[in-house]
Amino acid sequence: MTALYEARSVSKRYGSVVALRDVNFQVNRGEVVGLVGDNGAGKSTLVKILSGAHPPDSGQIFLEGKRQTWHSPREAIEAGVETLYQDSSLAPDLSVSANLFLGREKLKPGILKLMGFLASKQMDAVAQAELESIGIAVPPSGRTVFELSGGQRQAVAIGRAVSWASQVILLDEPTNHLGARQSAEVLAVIRQARHRGLAVVLISHTLPHVLEVTDRIVVLRLGRVVADAPSTTFTGDSLVRAITGLNQSQTSDQGGQS
Amino acid sequence: MTTLSAVKQGRAGPTGDDPTPAGPGWAKPLHRLRHHRQELILLLVLVAMTFLFAQLNPRFLSTAAAANIMQDFSPVLLTAVGQTFVIISGGIDLSVGSVLGLAGVICALTARAANQAGLPTGAGIGLAVMAGIVTGLLVGLVNGLLVSRVKLAPFIATLATMGAAYGTTLVVTNGVQIAGGPRAVILIGSKTYLGVFTAPVLVVLGVTAIAWLFLAKTRFGRYTYAIGSNRFAARVAGIGVKQHLVKVYLLSGVLAGLAGILVYFRLGSGSPSSGQGGELQAIAAAVIGGVSLAGGQGRLGGTILGAFIITAVISGLILIGVAPAWQQIVTGALIAVAVAVQAIGNPKRSVDL
Repeated sequence: MTALYEARSVSKRYGSVVALRDVNFQVNRGEVVGLVGDNGAGKSTLVKILSGAHPPDSGQIFLEGKRQTWHSPREAIEAGVETLYQDSSLAPDLSVSANLFLGREKLKPGILKLMGFLASKQMDAVAQAELESIGIAVPPSGRTVFELSGGQRQAVAIGRAVSWASQVILLDEPTNHLGARQSAEVLAVIRQARHRGLAVVLISHTLPHVLEVTDRIVVLRLGRVVADAPSTTFTGDSLVRAITGLNQSQTSDQGGQS
Repeated sequence: MTTLSAVKQGRAGPTGDDPTPAGPGWAKPLHRLRHHRQELILLLVLVAMTFLFAQLNPRFLSTAAAANIMQDFSPVLLTAVGQTFVIISGGIDLSVGSVLGLAGVICALTARAANQAGLPTGAGIGLAVMAGIVTGLLVGLVNGLLVSRVKLAPFIATLATMGAAYGTTLVVTNGVQIAGGPRAVILIGSKTYLGVFTAPVLVVLGVTAIAWLFLAKTRFGRYTYAIGSNRFAARVAGIGVKQHLVKVYLLSGVLAGLAGILVYFRLGSGSPSSGQGGELQAIAAAVIGGVSLAGGQGRLGGTILGAFIITAVISGLILIGVAPAWQQIVTGALIAVAVAVQAIGNPKRSVDL
């Protein structure tokens, strides 16, 4: 069976630095794959390639078995690949519904459509229904994202990605800076995305979250895939060893990585 | 800090579909009022100011003074409207004053040439107006390309075109007034409706109303806010940020050009010195109106009040006998006060230059 979304022997270098060497990565429908690795292991580079932000130097990308060459994130988005970036991809001065529909606004019918008039009420209603169906409580529609708490913002950002994605969703550090309860909410949304049949890629430094929610874990080290196995085969310790490449006695000094 | 589950509980509460927090019936209009706090404060300032000037010189309330204020108000408002779009998109347009002056003299030169060539008055005036608009378009296009393609900081890009436009004005006029257009120009420019509204003033009010609709109600406005609020977010949402910025600077250029044309119609001649300090007034109007220099925030309603306050202050000062040289000092002080007030009211969004 071909994977829903697949990177085959992808390499990428920035100047003299080799960020990715011959990496194979795949994710299936209804599967949550954790992508972990130390800083500089190549996680962000792989995400940028999968999201269409950067082209690989060599190697191919396949979506539903079809070869894809993304020239921009827009093309990936239109093919159903949504990305939640580590830097906020929300506009803080806009409302929740304006953010949800950013770049995909619904317009009023008829002549008003030609002039670009927004169907704001319709978007507000759809935004609320859509977010609630994913399990995210929507704050009042007139509220700007700036007025929300960090956890609420992240929920809106993930809700946005999940509700638009039709194939794949790439989440770059979605639980960063969140408290325990808010992280639990985010993990619930990830499960919901899997339940919807999306392929989910979770990039995270928070290994307990990765172990908790993923079906499979791919470990990158120095630009190479060093492990790719079902999550149940890992323990916290073995995952840290795979990430650092050190044996256990040495990893006790490196405990800060998780 | 509100947690997600707390919000959830709020949603499940008895308020049901009401988007405002639970509360009595008056809570919603109150929320609205708070939303328009800036405009309310400005209205109060305007009322207090009018009262003060009227006390010092009762002529401040005369029809003649009102008509004068409206005439001064219109080019300030027009350039401030363009400035509002630019500042909300996260930029600034320092060239609007020079563009106003350049468009005015280009318009005057074209009208004179058409007049001398014996063209019918209507055709000559039409050509002159077109020439003024094209002048604004060209400078706006250069600004837009410098900002979006050459990636110059808006401050630098428009500082450069500000100098270039002013220099061009001096070159084409040799520093002297351009008269010799058809007499119809000043007749059109000075015809008064309802006592205080001249034709240029009505044009400005109409254009402003359309601009308000576009900023508040359309996708164009939404993208302008989005880019100023978080350019990265706008880009990854698939918005053509570069193309949009070019349009925003084009708009500002065209409106400044139109302002120059209207000043020409008011004076009946093209003055190389008109528009000097115009950028200061336009920026002041927007900033006093609550448009945040950090981008992403502001409304045209505020800008309209801001432009009105600026004009009324300057007219009032002249009426009570303050020398005109003080105008720019007062405008500068108003900008500083307005930005400081914004920073106090909104500490996280204060300007970080």
